[in-house]
Amino acid sequence: MGLLIFASCQQNPKMNDNINPFFQEWNTQYQVPPFLQIKDEHYMPAFEKGMEENLAEIDSIVNNPEEPTFENTIEELERTGKLLTKVQRVFSNLAGSNTNPKLQELQRELSPMISAHYDKIALNEGLFLRVESIWNNRENFSLTDEQIKLLKDTRKQFIRSGALLDSNQKEEITKINSKISELSTQFGQNLLAETNGFELILDDDELDGLSDGVIAAASESAAQKMNEATSPEEKAKYENKYVFTPHRSSMYPFLTESTRRDLREILYKSYVMRGDNNNENDNKEIAVEIANLRAQKAEIMGYKTHAHFILEDNMLKSPEEVYDLLIKLWEPALKRAKSEVLDMQAVSDSEGNNFKIAAWDWWHYSEKVRKAKYDLDEAELKPYLSLDNVIKGVFNTTNKLWGLTFTEIFDIDLYHPDARIWKVTDKDGSHLGIFIGDYFTRSNKRGGAWMSSFKGQSNLDGRERPVVVNVCNFPAPVGDDPSLLSFENVTTLFHEFGHAMHGTLTNVTYPSMAGTSAPRDFVEFPSQVLEHWASEPEVLKSFATHYQTGEPMPDELIEKLLKASKFNQGFINTEYLAASLLDMDWHTITSDVVLEDANSFEASSLAKIGLIDEIAPRYRSTYFAHIFSGGYSSGYYSYIHAAVLDSDGFEAFIEAGDVFDETLSSKLRKHVYEKGSTEEAMDLYVKFRGRKPIIEPLLKVRGLDGKPD
Amino acid sequence: MLKTYLKRCIFCLALCFAVSSHAHNPPYLIISEIESGRLTFENEQIAAEYAAASKRLRIRRLEAMPWTKKIYVFIKAGFEHIIPDGLDHILFVLGLFFSSLKLRPLLIQVTAFTLAHSITLILAGLGLVKIQGSFVEPFIALSIVWIAVENTLFKKTTRWRSLVVFMFGLLHGLGFANLLSQYGLPKNNFISLLFAFNVGVEFGQLFVLLLAFIVAKTLFKNSWESGKIRVPASILIGCAGLHWLFQSLV
Repeated sequence: MGLLIFASCQQNPKMNDNINPFFQEWNTQYQVPPFLQIKDEHYMPAFEKGMEENLAEIDSIVNNPEEPTFENTIEELERTGKLLTKVQRVFSNLAGSNTNPKLQELQRELSPMISAHYDKIALNEGLFLRVESIWNNRENFSLTDEQIKLLKDTRKQFIRSGALLDSNQKEEITKINSKISELSTQFGQNLLAETNGFELILDDDELDGLSDGVIAAASESAAQKMNEATSPEEKAKYENKYVFTPHRSSMYPFLTESTRRDLREILYKSYVMRGDNNNENDNKEIAVEIANLRAQKAEIMGYKTHAHFILEDNMLKSPEEVYDLLIKLWEPALKRAKSEVLDMQAVSDSEGNNFKIAAWDWWHYSEKVRKAKYDLDEAELKPYLSLDNVIKGVFNTTNKLWGLTFTEIFDIDLYHPDARIWKVTDKDGSHLGIFIGDYFTRSNKRGGAWMSSFKGQSNLDGRERPVVVNVCNFPAPVGDDPSLLSFENVTTLFHEFGHAMHGTLTNVTYPSMAGTSAPRDFVEFPSQVLEHWASEPEVLKSFATHYQTGEPMPDELIEKLLKASKFNQGFINTEYLAASLLDMDWHTITSDVVLEDANSFEASSLAKIGLIDEIAPRYRSTYFAHIFSGGYSSGYYSYIHAAVLDSDGFEAFIEAGDVFDETLSSKLRKHVYEKGSTEEAMDLYVKFRGRKPIIEPLLKVRGLDGKPD
Repeated sequence: MLKTYLKRCIFCLALCFAVSSHAHNPPYLIISEIESGRLTFENEQIAAEYAAASKRLRIRRLEAMPWTKKIYVFIKAGFEHIIPDGLDHILFVLGLFFSSLKLRPLLIQVTAFTLAHSITLILAGLGLVKIQGSFVEPFIALSIVWIAVENTLFKKTTRWRSLVVFMFGLLHGLGFANLLSQYGLPKNNFISLLFAFNVGVEFGQLFVLLLAFIVAKTLFKNSWESGKIRVPASILIGCAGLHWLFQSLV
């Protein structure tokens, strides 16, 4: 008994079900992947064939008897790997947003295969010789600026993979790379073991101050531990107990609510000592070794330090520029942090306590300050922020900025029924792209929020428009009520939508330069700048209407909301900047420096900038996974760099007196959102803003300008 | 707020780079493990989430349709809920059919049934009555058994028959409402669509009766009169009812 058959408007691309869908033309609407036809077992054969085809294409470019030209080499390279890209896009998206054990296993299997594949291409000598010959003859070809940039970027990729080195050096680099990758993996595994290795097991009488929700979650994790326990003794350990761990989701609520200062100290220390316990999971030596190897590699590649090597590709081109930015921000941040300590000390003293605020007190007392000073109740905001209204709000914003319209499509089946799809149309009625929004949290989706694409943009062989996606983890609706967002969710939605616009408005010739393929310290600018519109009272009022009464958000609530955004900014920026500077310090050592101990290196780095005891860097070296096991070495500063750009960029609209100023919005579109990586990021910014970025607007936005809130 | 930026940015960057031209080893894998823990796959939960999402999708698609299309879709849904999906309801209606040789009592019974299930369908649809499906199912099965037993044991229908049928109709209406709520009704045009669904159910019912009437009049003209078909058919219907009764109780 079911009535599931009716009202389903199935899309019926003419495809043969017996053939792997990746091996067929997708004559679906807008080339949206035929998700219903794609099964888990289709990926591996498609990856294998994709890599094989890709290598054959490369061979035919290398073996072309004609003289190397831009067209027969660089442009041909842009046409290679179509099948591989096709399957890779679908796979990497679904492995994040709609995964299962089979896909996770494939992910582990594929990851080394894919990186080996791209290494093969990057180390292809014949290919590099052709690229190099074109580079040397570039004056003789009449190339456009976009083509020159592509040539330069392509060549640089080969060089950065070691194409200019002699065979001894190449061998050395390969050795260093594999050693670093081994150590990085080890670093990550140690960190995981350390984070999972500590538990604060509490009794009923040790829960002072904790709210019901937090207690329930801790009791739940104790129950889970009991389930996993193998021996009766181990089971008994967790019976009727409450477990907290150094995972942030468990630790922050405890540090905020618990009135037991001694327990806060224990949990906090377990967090900051991860990887630094002189046990088998210790990361101190690994950090030192990785930093040393990176310095050696940089020297062989012809760079002064690892940071010089990394930053060459970025908007800020040298360690000096990065340090200059970070130090300029450091003083105001630290100053505010110190005044925050005073606020907290005052609260603590007024409670009759007789101690100096310590690092493990921060969350508890800052919450008290927040309540007293800002008094914003998130629950009051939510009824005004239903997901549908916020989506309408962001669509309207881009409509006012660039004249875009969004039309929801109902007859395309996606990979999950909660994913929604819209057609994006430009001001002149032309088709710009497809936007997919997958907003609700679910158990087979990874945490966090991100943007990605199922199809890229290119004008190389005809006009191809992209299919982009935003994935978030907002609460799903309960019962008949709509999904109601927190304001943080709203900024996340605008943020990811900014990335989506970068991926949708892009209008470049070559696929590898399209959309979000911009440098790391620039790519967050298009996303973060859009967040400013979300908190602009004029815009907020237009979309934040009560889901039951339709009333717009009251002015006093908006005012409170905006004021609260400055809460705790001293702490947030100080811990972040300290970590960024630590990252830079680790990666500006030259290969002849002998590093002895990670802790003393870190201590002297932090002492140099005068970090206060009440704050630890956002990541200490022994758990700084971004730089020692992720891809963020000398790149952790990127976030705040992009924040400087977005505050300064939005300030232009404020100065113009209209947040939808036509001249500015069209410049923003033309020079930022449309350009991908076809020009140097700084040039693009200057073309939009009329000058280089300055930090003052950011200081103002974050309340670091010394003015009262 | 910066905290969430950081977490967020890791993902968007990592994914952007993972699929952009010449991918490096995606760094997000490791970092996300640390930030958000491992995913655990509980099939039941995933299925429940999927069902809820499917309902949302259906409602979105329905809400986007023009008014006339929506009405059509819901009439069709009501009809399909009898033919071919509602074998239990078909058998109940056939049970009524086999109970009487005359048109008048049959019409009275069918009208009572229709009136009753319309009342509960609308009351439940509006959320004024809420009863669990697992509670209603056995009673619907029981109603089929009861009608069959009556048909087999009594030559004439009892005086209370119409009232009994009315009571059973109330139950069947709750059954319709349960499925309709799983399916989901768009908020705008709620009443008219509920009505359209009910109309579809009536059409389905009438269609069953019409078919039964034609078959009986053409094929079994003689045996029909003597009740040779009436009793074995009712026994079969009763057996099916019993089967469902056990199924719904176990």
